[in-house]
Amino acid sequence: MSRRMQEVRGWLMASPYLLFAIIFFFLPLLWSVVLVFSDWNLIAPDWRWVGLQNFLEALQSRRVQQAFLSSFRFMIFVVPLGLAVSLAIALLVNSLKRFQGLFAVGFFLPYLASGVAVSLVVRGALAFNSPVGRFFLNNFGYVPDWLGNPWLAILIISLMIVWKFSGYYALIFLAGLQSIPKELYEAAQIDGASSWRTFWSITLPMLYPALYSVLILMVGLMFGIFTEPYVLTKGGPDLATHTWHLEIYYQAFSALRSGYATAISTLNALAVFITVMIVRRIMERWGRNLGWVD
Amino acid sequence: MARLQAMLGRKPVVAVPARRIVWRRYAKEGLKYLLAVAGVLVAVTPYLYMVLHSLAPWNEVNRRFIPTELTLRSYEWLLQGSRTVAPKPWLRALLNSAIVTAGSTFLMVVCGLVVGYALSRLRFRGQQTVYNIILFQMFYPAIVLLVPTFLIVRALGLYDTYWGMIVPKAVSLWAIFMFTSFFKSIPQDIIDAARIDGLSELGIVFRIALPMSIPITTVITLFLFMERWSELLWDLIIVQDENLMTLNVLIATMSGPYGNYPGGLYAASVILTLPILILFLIFSKYFRQGFQLVLK
Repeated sequence: MSRRMQEVRGWLMASPYLLFAIIFFFLPLLWSVVLVFSDWNLIAPDWRWVGLQNFLEALQSRRVQQAFLSSFRFMIFVVPLGLAVSLAIALLVNSLKRFQGLFAVGFFLPYLASGVAVSLVVRGALAFNSPVGRFFLNNFGYVPDWLGNPWLAILIISLMIVWKFSGYYALIFLAGLQSIPKELYEAAQIDGASSWRTFWSITLPMLYPALYSVLILMVGLMFGIFTEPYVLTKGGPDLATHTWHLEIYYQAFSALRSGYATAISTLNALAVFITVMIVRRIMERWGRNLGWVD
Repeated sequence: MARLQAMLGRKPVVAVPARRIVWRRYAKEGLKYLLAVAGVLVAVTPYLYMVLHSLAPWNEVNRRFIPTELTLRSYEWLLQGSRTVAPKPWLRALLNSAIVTAGSTFLMVVCGLVVGYALSRLRFRGQQTVYNIILFQMFYPAIVLLVPTFLIVRALGLYDTYWGMIVPKAVSLWAIFMFTSFFKSIPQDIIDAARIDGLSELGIVFRIALPMSIPITTVITLFLFMERWSELLWDLIIVQDENLMTLNVLIATMSGPYGNYPGGLYAASVILTLPILILFLIFSKYFRQGFQLVLK
């Protein structure tokens, strides 16, 4: 086959992606650059160049500030709980002699749930006069205002996220656990190491790559929460569970401020980028200090 | 332990009767399984709650955890509504979900196969550039493009259509990336042999490369399907006509105004969740095998 034919063939087979990238990546990319500096309501023909005003307004907006802060509020609960639960699941499943696959699948089931359906269940289970409410009334004499209290609302949404993603992260840990050479454990046994010591000196250091990627995935996720607060709290109470994506959705499609919304998404992207960079720095420094990586 | 003691040539310091050691080991194993079963039970509790309360009499929905009797009233309500409430097109929404998800997933997988093959097994000038563009797009935050993409889809006349939901989600960078790295492991001899037999490159993709990568293709398809099925934000903004909404969007939209009909909403949620659950359980055999490959 001629050289020329090969070239044509290659480009032809890559063309579905290239066509897609032009229409749904490069074109929106260019448009977003124009939009962030403009004021346009998606419909009217009048269209105004406003310079950096969108960014200045976004930085001063309490709604955007709360969206920024709420990512970290969710992080406080989701990161430690999520790591603990998914690691525990992985260790448990890995230690089973039979039916490992069956249990791995069982723990993965929550990942299949639609956030909408789960939010309805949570809303119902916490409703007035619900089984959970009555349990609290009978045992503690009062029912907490689940979604009306800022920190309780954050905790509940965090628990929903932990519930959904733990089985998925556990699979990543499980793959990491199963790639640890058995000889290391045998050597530790010969040295008479306790199982606690084995965990801290072998299992955890060898899981460092898995730990690293799960943590990055989790942190990234915290800036993209939408479904749960959209159904459950609409961002309330008092913007405590207001997220970046809720604010972008609201500004773009309810307030019809496309430029402002795109400016907020740019800030959102920046916030993710910087936070992930910081987390990576911290993780790498810890890894080096503990001697887990060079 | 026994091997270790044999190696060291020593007897254990504390002699424990062998039978008790065996018994203790069994107890420990049993405890582990008990814990695992309890964990899975906790994991599926929300599903159980959803199913139970979709079958509960309406005065017991969200009142008692386990209803005293089971009824199909909520499902009837979905189809027929009631005297005061006209039915919403729930079944139509399920069909919409199926059309959009199947169409989208099919295109994502086919595109992943073809482009992945081109990037891993063909040689052409600019190949590395295409690969770099994919990486760049993967790391570029998609949320910034939400509003401009919406505007482009509207300008193309796809607002409020199936195509508006399918086309912008017809390519998965992740799938291309996975297939590119997986196809590298197919031996060159097989591909050469197929070429000599006169198979076209597309023929090689679908008759040779695809059958050789069934587990990973199954897992990629499952993941894409799952994610597309539960998509909310995009489908929410691109469709306004109730008859075109996916089931997920219809439930989300109705969850406010129909807050007084929790039973019906649970029934709709069951209809939303069941297909994906069944699909996953059917293919779960491939799942672990393929998942290891995906993680590499």
